[in-house]
Amino acid sequence: MRWSPSLFSAANQRSARRPQVEPVPFQMLLPLKLKKTVSGKNDRQREAACMQEMAVMFACFKKSEFDQQQCLKEVAAFQGCYKEYKEKASSLRQQERQGILVPGEKKLTHRQMNQLLKAFPPQS
Amino acid sequence: MNTLIPLSKNIVPVVANFSKPRWELISRHYARPTSFPDFFKNPVFRKEDQAPLVESGELATLAKAPYKPPGVSETSSAYYDPLVNKVINHVMEMGKKKLARSLVEKAFENIKRKQIERYHLASSDAEKAKIELDPKVVLHKAIENSKPLLQLTPVKRGGITYQVPGPITENRSEFLAIKWLLEATNDKERTIHFPEQFAWELLDAANNTGKVVKRKQDIHRQCEANRAYAHYRWQ
Repeated sequence: MRWSPSLFSAANQRSARRPQVEPVPFQMLLPLKLKKTVSGKNDRQREAACMQEMAVMFACFKKSEFDQQQCLKEVAAFQGCYKEYKEKASSLRQQERQGILVPGEKKLTHRQMNQLLKAFPPQS
Repeated sequence: MNTLIPLSKNIVPVVANFSKPRWELISRHYARPTSFPDFFKNPVFRKEDQAPLVESGELATLAKAPYKPPGVSETSSAYYDPLVNKVINHVMEMGKKKLARSLVEKAFENIKRKQIERYHLASSDAEKAKIELDPKVVLHKAIENSKPLLQLTPVKRGGITYQVPGPITENRSEFLAIKWLLEATNDKERTIHFPEQFAWELLDAANNTGKVVKRKQDIHRQCEANRAYAHYRWQ
């Protein structure tokens, strides 16, 4: 026998929760301020390197039926671009590892950002 | 590991097996460790490599730092060529370097014989000037012509694996070139010996024709066909 359905009247038919009463009281589950670090998740999504040069090289290859000898200029441009990219990436990695900050740099990695945040902690 | 390992409760004593050499007893799933610690530098044994160090004055500091001894084949001889040494190491099986070296040198001899024959058959001086007689130069040219510029890497996006074209590092492209040359060579009749076939493959590749160059071009064609996926590459 169901004896007091009104006492346990639920938010929906299946669960026996108390219906919430307005105004809903605020509960602070986490402190109401930003963390003192940034996450490194976004740094992974970087665009692929040397797309433009690769497209130009493909166009030349198609024209010359994949004879590399006729596309020396395009091939050199592509390889030079990749080499430059690699050098830049490795120097960046090394700077990160040593914790060198380039003054006036607009685009910071998460490590550099954290380093700055640690040096100049946000006022709270 | 001469006779017995000191006993602990759970360890069964291991008696040395003298019937096999020691390196065959150990199953290794990691790179062979050297007996030198990490701070030991690689030796600079060639005059060409030493010259820039002398100029920049780094040699004085390098000379005081500990360095590994060079390998037996690594000499400052005028005949030493790092690329030839690398090819020999790729030809080598089960550490039989002497045999590998003799095979590569025999291939060089075959190249030399073929090119000299062509040279004497050529009628005009202009034709003769075109024929490359140095087998080492032929090898360098062959590897240069076989090096791929691009590679396909499998990238999984939304449950589908795409073959994504992208640039290739210098080392990897050299490795692939040598590997393909050797694979093309080993794909032969039993009656034809390795040096003979290797000589032909090298001459073909140096001439920008043959199986290996075709294979490289096929890779480039595939990359071109999959160029729409190129932006899936993450760097």
